[in-house]
Amino acid sequence: MEAQQQLQRVKETARPVIGLWIIGGGWVALLGACVLAVSLGAADIDFKTVWSAVFQFNPERQEHLIIWELRLPRVIGAALVGCCFAVSGSIMQGMTRNPLADSGLLGLNAGAAFLLAVCFAFFPGLSYAYVILFSFVGAALGATIVYGIGSWSKSGLTPIRLVLAGAAVSALLSALSEGIALHFDIGQDLAFWYAGGVSGTRWSHLQVITPWFIMAMIVAMILSRSITILSLGEEVAIGLGEKTGRVKLIGAVVVLVLAGAAVSVVGAVSFVGLIVPHLSRKLVGYDYRWIIPASAVLGAWLVVLADLAARLINPPYETPIGALIALLGVPFFLYMARKGGKLS
Amino acid sequence: MIYQTEGQLKKKRRFRTLVLLLFVGIIITFLFSLNVGYIRMHPREILLTLWGQGTYEQSLTLFQFRLPRMVIALLVGAGLSVSGTVLQGIVRNPLADPGIIGINSGAGLAVMLFLSFYAGTSNVPVLVLPFLAFIGAGGTAVLIYALSYKRHEGVHPIRIVLTGVAVAAGISSLMIVLTLRLDPDKYQFLATWLAGSIWGSNWKFVHALWPWLVLLTPYVYWKSSVLNVMNLGDETAIGLGTDLEKERRMLLAAATALAAASVSVSGGIGFIGLIAPHMTRRLIGDRHEYVIPIAALVGAILLLLADTIGRWIMQPSSIPAGIVVAVIGAPYFLYLLARIKD
Amino acid sequence: MGALEAKKIHVGYSQHLIIEDLSITIPAQKITTIIGPNGCGKSTLIKTLARILKTKAGTVYLDGKEIHNLDTREVARKMAVLPQTAQAPGGLTVFELVSYGRFPHRSSMGMLKAEDYDYIHWAIEVTGLGDLKDRSISALSGGQRQRVWIAVALAQGTDILVLDEPTTYLDLAHQLEILLLLERLNKAENRTIVMVLHDLNHASRFSDYLIAMKDGKVIKEGTPSDVMTCEVLREVFNIDAQLAPCPFSAHPICFSYQLCKDVEYVYR
Repeated sequence: MEAQQQLQRVKETARPVIGLWIIGGGWVALLGACVLAVSLGAADIDFKTVWSAVFQFNPERQEHLIIWELRLPRVIGAALVGCCFAVSGSIMQGMTRNPLADSGLLGLNAGAAFLLAVCFAFFPGLSYAYVILFSFVGAALGATIVYGIGSWSKSGLTPIRLVLAGAAVSALLSALSEGIALHFDIGQDLAFWYAGGVSGTRWSHLQVITPWFIMAMIVAMILSRSITILSLGEEVAIGLGEKTGRVKLIGAVVVLVLAGAAVSVVGAVSFVGLIVPHLSRKLVGYDYRWIIPASAVLGAWLVVLADLAARLINPPYETPIGALIALLGVPFFLYMARKGGKLS
Repeated sequence: MIYQTEGQLKKKRRFRTLVLLLFVGIIITFLFSLNVGYIRMHPREILLTLWGQGTYEQSLTLFQFRLPRMVIALLVGAGLSVSGTVLQGIVRNPLADPGIIGINSGAGLAVMLFLSFYAGTSNVPVLVLPFLAFIGAGGTAVLIYALSYKRHEGVHPIRIVLTGVAVAAGISSLMIVLTLRLDPDKYQFLATWLAGSIWGSNWKFVHALWPWLVLLTPYVYWKSSVLNVMNLGDETAIGLGTDLEKERRMLLAAATALAAASVSVSGGIGFIGLIAPHMTRRLIGDRHEYVIPIAALVGAILLLLADTIGRWIMQPSSIPAGIVVAVIGAPYFLYLLARIKD
Repeated sequence: MGALEAKKIHVGYSQHLIIEDLSITIPAQKITTIIGPNGCGKSTLIKTLARILKTKAGTVYLDGKEIHNLDTREVARKMAVLPQTAQAPGGLTVFELVSYGRFPHRSSMGMLKAEDYDYIHWAIEVTGLGDLKDRSISALSGGQRQRVWIAVALAQGTDILVLDEPTTYLDLAHQLEILLLLERLNKAENRTIVMVLHDLNHASRFSDYLIAMKDGKVIKEGTPSDVMTCEVLREVFNIDAQLAPCPFSAHPICFSYQLCKDVEYVYR
């Protein structure tokens, strides 16, 4: 009875028209942002050159080389990373009914970064296709510890408890990574992952993560209906005949792949997965069939623009993108925490 | 009429035994720690040097490098631990710790701002650092207090911790943005500072630190009955006649000052203020008359151990004590998190 | 003159006032109980009387002096408070916790004096905790814990005791134990007792004076026979009560009740 009412509420609050607009218009706007991001930077390049670099590539022109080898992979990387973090965040929030869920806050990012440190220390020169696997395992490690603590705990997994556990696990894993970095003298390589940045993205990276990304997104979309039902509560979902165990398992794998892939490109950037899903939920309602694609678009937007800002604030230096997003994310987090961590 | 119960007397005896044991423990760790470092020395040589009969090189290593560093580790450990004890008493939450609620990062920000405007690093006026750190830490503490304060509800313990985590994250990202303006020299200085490496291996820093401890620890001890009563909840505390808001502010200021002074010398060391008081409470119970002295000793011995381990475990590179403490402390925090109820 | 007086007090939060313009006098050396439905403001009233909540307007007087202008420690020497939400850290022994009741009488650093020990031991004896004094609080049952809290309030050695629902979460026998103890303290030592109770029959049986509240207002106050009437209970609780004299105290008690007709209609 109650379950039906809740489901009804989800349907009533769904705003497919806005959703279509955001997703449709969002892609166009994202494309615009990308073009802007490609043309602006240490050397400004006009749109026409960008156009010709993409469609009539001429390897002898330096501008074309900059665009093709540096800017384009970077911007696409930023968009992908944004999608990944935002979608993983929205799936986590939906499955766990925890409004403070974010791959950064819950220790997934620190876990991935830790295993990247291990990877650099013990297997230097490993090809990126394998490095990314380390990142997945690391994300799984972080998540397992945090959720392990939560389920071991007497009074269960309150949102706040999870965040605290995430903070401690992150502290632990970062301390270990720092220790490894100091001992093996790879601090320089690692600083890049920690500060967060997409400047090092190359086509070879994108080649590796794109298949993972596409697979994860397809699974996420197939799963989205089940996530909506799960977001009404475990008992309701069981009552509606959902196989919650299976949904959770598949969902967790998707989250790990997305977060791990993103961290392996950009480093441990928090808060994208926190802010974006809330924003999408405000815009398109409670149906995850809409929330997930909307989050993907908005997340890509956020990171592409943040990366652009990171380049423009203090040229020729790059401001770490993770820090910039944190400056946005912290006030938002405080606001959420003040509301007592209720799902809006 | 028998005044003290059997349990009281037993506890008092236990307290004395613990103090004695911890002192012995500190002396043993101290001797062991003296022996650890880049230049190996035979224990007999160390004793001879302490006696004033070592070579010039030996006495230089011992008196100018190792000893001050160890003394600092002891003082910082004690300071952070007492600060943590007080914070936990104020917010009635075993998870409070100067590091977790952002005091470390606040102090770090202040030190960093100072460095970026101060020319050079060679001759930093160290006596100023504790003050600066205090201002930064105090500002952060006030900010956290204000942000977690809700009208009519006051300050909810868990909300303080959560706000602290968030504010700390915000400050450290601000610091990352600001580090871009620093020249490499200063950046190096700051980076070691932040990792909590007890960088000031110098008697100057000892002198910058001890007055704070000597002043504030007795004050806090003097307030132990107030802390006891605060532990019973706000309403009971008011009912028993404490001026709750005033006492809370005063104690918060004392705890901040203790943590800030310690951190200004040692850099960002978290978790000591969490583990040491908690271990102490398990040993001796919740009465602050007993908890405060024991926690100071436990904190001192823990940090000295951590620093020694850090210098010893991966020779020749030395791991900052802050990292060693985090590796031990974070699992302990997780354990606590799982055990306590809301 | 009463021991505690509230004159035209307004209590509540910025927009939402819970108590508006309420005046009340708590008679000295009597047992007074505040009764009323959930959310009627009785807890708010008792907290205000105990100066835990501040008034928006109006004043509470203790022995004729404005309570919020008195030194809070001085108040604590005259009035002990047992809040509903008292919680003890588990690492204390019964003796240690009860000794905290002497806090208002000590200088900050002062050790316990002979007089303090007398009070503490007396409070432990009178609450029947003699055998448990070195036991850790975490090892006690709910009823024992509640008695420890009452011992803390007693160790304070005050003339006035303010208790917010001292019998919640206790089983029948333990509830009675606590109330009989309070009665003894009142009869033998003339202490003024003010409390909130949920159980109407307990309130009637043990009190000299009852205050019935609803929606932040006092509907009726007086002796149990004045307050425990069909009319008052109908107005305050919306019940039709069947009353009879209590065989132990001769005060009226309610042996069964129905929802009032008009209310019943709403529920259907």
